[in-house]
Amino acid sequence: MTPGAGAPGGPRATAAAVARDSRDGFASGRLAAPGGRGAAVRRQAGMAARGAAPFAVLVAAWAAASAARLVPELFLPAPAAVAGVAWTMAVDGSLWVNILASLGRLLVGIVVSVPLAVGLGVLVGLNRPLARVLEPVAGFFNALSGIAWLPLAVTWLGLGWASVTFIMANTIFFLVFFNTLVGVRTVPRIFEQAVRTMGGRRRHVILQVLVPGAMPSIVTGIRMSIGFGWRALIAAEMIATSTGLGFLIFNASNFHQTDTIVAGIATIGVLWLLTDRLVLQPLERRTIERWGLVSSS
Amino acid sequence: MLRWETAAAWTVLLAGGLAAWSVAAATLPVPDYFLPPPSAVLAALGDLLAKGILPTYVTASLARMLTAALTALVVGVPVGLLLGMSRRVADFAYPLLNFFQSVSGIAWLPLMLVWFGFGERTIVAAVNYTVIFPVVFNALLGVRSVPRLYVDALRTLGASRWRIIRDVVLPGALPSIATGMRLGLAYGWRALIAAEMLVGAHGLGFMIFSAQSFHLTARIMLGMAVIGVLWLLLDYFVLRPVEQATISRWGLVQR
Amino acid sequence: MLRHRTVVFLLVVAALWVGWEAFLAVTAPRRLDAAVAAALEREPLVSIAVTLGFPPEDFHIRIFQTHGVVSGVRGTTVLLNRVSAADVHRIARYYWVRRISPQ
Repeated sequence: MTPGAGAPGGPRATAAAVARDSRDGFASGRLAAPGGRGAAVRRQAGMAARGAAPFAVLVAAWAAASAARLVPELFLPAPAAVAGVAWTMAVDGSLWVNILASLGRLLVGIVVSVPLAVGLGVLVGLNRPLARVLEPVAGFFNALSGIAWLPLAVTWLGLGWASVTFIMANTIFFLVFFNTLVGVRTVPRIFEQAVRTMGGRRRHVILQVLVPGAMPSIVTGIRMSIGFGWRALIAAEMIATSTGLGFLIFNASNFHQTDTIVAGIATIGVLWLLTDRLVLQPLERRTIERWGLVSSS
Repeated sequence: MLRWETAAAWTVLLAGGLAAWSVAAATLPVPDYFLPPPSAVLAALGDLLAKGILPTYVTASLARMLTAALTALVVGVPVGLLLGMSRRVADFAYPLLNFFQSVSGIAWLPLMLVWFGFGERTIVAAVNYTVIFPVVFNALLGVRSVPRLYVDALRTLGASRWRIIRDVVLPGALPSIATGMRLGLAYGWRALIAAEMLVGAHGLGFMIFSAQSFHLTARIMLGMAVIGVLWLLLDYFVLRPVEQATISRWGLVQR
Repeated sequence: MLRHRTVVFLLVVAALWVGWEAFLAVTAPRRLDAAVAAALEREPLVSIAVTLGFPPEDFHIRIFQTHGVVSGVRGTTVLLNRVSAADVHRIARYYWVRRISPQ
């Protein structure tokens, strides 16, 4: 069976299939088996089931441990109790209010920081000496990013959503800026020069060489920064505001409401999983496959 | 660009930045505590050193990071390797590890507060959790990424399971483990600062958080600088070189 | 080359730490008043006045509370009661303590 021929979608899908399959065993270089659309859908469903099965086992073990009274109810409530609380919160709306608060802050942080960071990064990256000087500075602020800014943010903006969103935006900005700088800097000079010799102007160089060349770095930076930012957000919500998932679980701990806490933790985890799986990973895969090396994750 | 030109550029940038900051601190129409000038931050450094506050807090935070790193190495790496050895177990564990890795230790903190109260154990538990999962996850991935060819080759030569682990699987997984340690410690350092703020125990996070309630903004800025510098030192002198060394010696997959 | 960087860094850190601990151990006796040392030989628990170079902050009070009972603060001096010999020596090791004298 020739590699590209049978798999649906051509070489790009094949590469994606290799990326997916390479985590399936000791790296064996297996390619996606051919078989048409139906087989692909069945395979997707199979993979989803395989992904969900461990969680089912975990929840079952948890339920069994709770039923057998191996763990005190206060320490770890039974799955049924957690599900019950989650349902109650979903019905009376408090769950959605908090989810929207957290996700809203995440979105604002992304929408404000990413364009700014990429734009500035490309601008600075155009000037190589300047980029070389600013890179360590960006690296330093990168190391500083996140929750360490909270006291300063509270001093300037007071308690509330402004500080929390500031921290998120800050975390995302510095990481994406740094990655953009590095990405632009590592685009081989020869591509730039090739476009120039063909009569391209500055904007051609930017749009057709630098940005695509830096894309893998930029997108990786975006994905990582949202990961760091989400964590910083949850921590900041615990300390500095009264809405959001972080606040929900921290507040519940004051009343020893462990079922609410576990429900909140599960929500946080699921939200991140969804964001990563449905938005970030496809984005990364598509840009990296187009302009960079295939990444397997 | 020559080395000294870069150094000169940095000095100019630093001097310019400090000057602009001082001017802004003096002229902006905001309360004094909003933006202390660089001289105030320097004074805070001297003050905190003379009073023994900074060294105590720095050692407290670093000690917690060290224990977390050691726990991750001693417990996380073997667990990850073992989980990765069997294809079935690895496939089962992968989604679980991925999920628990992405739920940071800080999200578990409220639950740990109920279990352990406001004390050292809570912080240690949260930070250790945060550091260990990326290490286990990456160790598992590292084992899975070893080409079957090498394992089979050793098997045909009659090697025992232990030999295979020692000579092929462990070295092959080392680059991934080093990356996992670096990532885990990066998450862990931030989780530590957050945990110290929430639990109120001695540490850098607590220092900058409590300084905020007294409007000691110079202390906040100093603390932030120390947090950033400490991470940079750790990353530049220990984590990144080790990661690079494992990749260049045993790396099979190009990054 | 890379391993050199890590090894040198760790060696420097270790050397600095050892040197610092030695410094603390050497300068500790100088802070202790002879009268206090004598009192320690007579009684298991003593009352001391710890003089700092600055007015104590919350940080310092909390540390002293782990060594004894804080009974008062006079300017730059903290009054501590029921301090054992081990705790007195621990307090003497703090480099930010100027002097330990009887109350």
